[in-house]
Amino acid sequence: MSKFLKMYTPFTRAGIQMSMAYRFNFFCFLLGEIFKCFIMFFVWQAVFASSDSETFMGFSMVDMTVYLFITFLAGYLTYSEGTYAVGEEIRDGSIAMRMIKPVSFDMTFLFQELGNKIMVTLVVLVPICVGVELYKYFVTGSFMFNLLTFTMFLFSVVIAYLISFYFNVCYGFMAFFLKNLWGANILKEVIVDFLSGATIPLAFMPQLMRDILTFMPFSSLSYTPVMIYMGMYSIEKSLGLIALQLFWLAAFWLLSKAIWRAAVKRLAVQGG
Amino acid sequence: MIQVDNITKQFKKVVKQPGIIGSVKSLFNPKSEIITAVDNVSFDVQEGEVLGFIGPNGAGKSTVIKMLTGILTPTSGKCTINGKIPQKDRKNYVKEIGVVFGQRTQLWWDLPLVETYSVLKEIYEVPDAQFKKRMDFLNEVLDLQAFIKSPVRTLSLGQRMRADIAASLLHSPKVLFLDEPTIGLDVVVKDNIRKAIAKINNEEKTTVILTTHDLSDIELLCKRIVMIDKGKNVFDGNLSELKSKYGQMRELCFETDNIEDVKSKLQYASRFNATSDDVIVNNDGANVSVKFNSDKIAVADILGYTLQEVHITDINVKDADVEEIIRRLYKEGVTENE
Repeated sequence: MSKFLKMYTPFTRAGIQMSMAYRFNFFCFLLGEIFKCFIMFFVWQAVFASSDSETFMGFSMVDMTVYLFITFLAGYLTYSEGTYAVGEEIRDGSIAMRMIKPVSFDMTFLFQELGNKIMVTLVVLVPICVGVELYKYFVTGSFMFNLLTFTMFLFSVVIAYLISFYFNVCYGFMAFFLKNLWGANILKEVIVDFLSGATIPLAFMPQLMRDILTFMPFSSLSYTPVMIYMGMYSIEKSLGLIALQLFWLAAFWLLSKAIWRAAVKRLAVQGG
Repeated sequence: MIQVDNITKQFKKVVKQPGIIGSVKSLFNPKSEIITAVDNVSFDVQEGEVLGFIGPNGAGKSTVIKMLTGILTPTSGKCTINGKIPQKDRKNYVKEIGVVFGQRTQLWWDLPLVETYSVLKEIYEVPDAQFKKRMDFLNEVLDLQAFIKSPVRTLSLGQRMRADIAASLLHSPKVLFLDEPTIGLDVVVKDNIRKAIAKINNEEKTTVILTTHDLSDIELLCKRIVMIDKGKNVFDGNLSELKSKYGQMRELCFETDNIEDVKSKLQYASRFNATSDDVIVNNDGANVSVKFNSDKIAVADILGYTLQEVHITDINVKDADVEEIIRRLYKEGVTENE
């Protein structure tokens, strides 16, 4: 295990250094995402203002605000560039340079991205959580932070990230067959955002659709950790959903291994 | 050390029809054809040998290298390196080899060069003491000190290539694959890189496979040459064999004080009944060079004829150089001759 860490932590270190090298990029992206959050906030405010009741489908305006910002946070923490990174390396053939090294292909990507995640966590997690809790305190007048749910949230987010990573790696392997993934990737992001409840809470959807989507892997990516954070689930239900997350993680991990094995046999390195 | 047995690699390639209509057609009804990039190539390399692997662009050199390094899987045939099959247990196999693709880099683009080396140190599990010794050695051979702290993206091509070669040697591999390591470099850098390769081969008995288009690389480094063309093996032997097999072209150089005489009186083609490929005359002022096929025209004959026709102040006959041989081979397409 320590040998394993020793071999891959340099990738994490390099990932941190690389996100530092592109910090302007990073802050622009962050700013853009926060703008999007506020736009959604005002849209929902208008929805609630025009409604007669205080709550909408079981969500109050406070809940909705927390939902928006925590969904943004979870989205940011679980975002994986796997599809892009894997797809691009397959497209330009530089995947060959990873194959001539005695390392696992997926681990090098994962640990490199973890470096970036550490940076993101430091810069985004604490301000958003503190902001959201302060907002709740000022609007409702009571302080409701619960360490247990927060711990479960963190755990759930980490699993969600790993699912997201392997899901994206699997998707990126499509480049073996498609050679260029740009369009397919955009399609994927829109669909995943919708199915994972990142666009609209799954609670707003019809019962049957909600049940199907809760079981599908997408809700594990964002909706589960967000609901856990908001304290919408009992402890038992939270643990059950975390178990479901673990199941999907295992499924995508195995799938990525299988695709990799099949794809390497028919790999055609492009160029040079 | 390296055995290659009848390896073949076929690719499926989507054929695109020309024009917009063609593009639309291939979007809905893609047609593909099988391309044989490498066709039954066999050769072997002894331990400590430097093998020059040559052939025109698109001959399949890189594809062979990619199969030997475990990146591609051969469609049929087998290669064994140091008793291991590259495609089986890739992670263990690649610990013993070093690879440089001249057109790609294994360095971390955005990080200072030295960071790449410390990542590689962990990947290959090189102990601290050995790493330090190795870095000193590579530093001395490849002269990295000046730019080791600069981000890789700021390096010049020559610096990057030296850094890449150092990266491939950090773990003291038994076999080194160099795919066009001197591509696009100036003469001085090329020379340094050749010296470094020669030194490493000499001191550590590293087996080297080198592909190149620069024939000086071959002349200075390789005792043996394998040449492929259109995916097929066309020549395997040492440099002098190549010269005697294909090197009938020799060059007669002379200096004259009457250049007009040369042009009007010397009619090699009609005198020896030779084609324009068998005798090529060039002149630079008073210096005249006549390249001729010594199989068709005897040296004594051409010398006698020249001396008889024009007044000459200096004369010599040169052996064919490799560059000329290869140029002819590439041009004619060697496969037809076999």
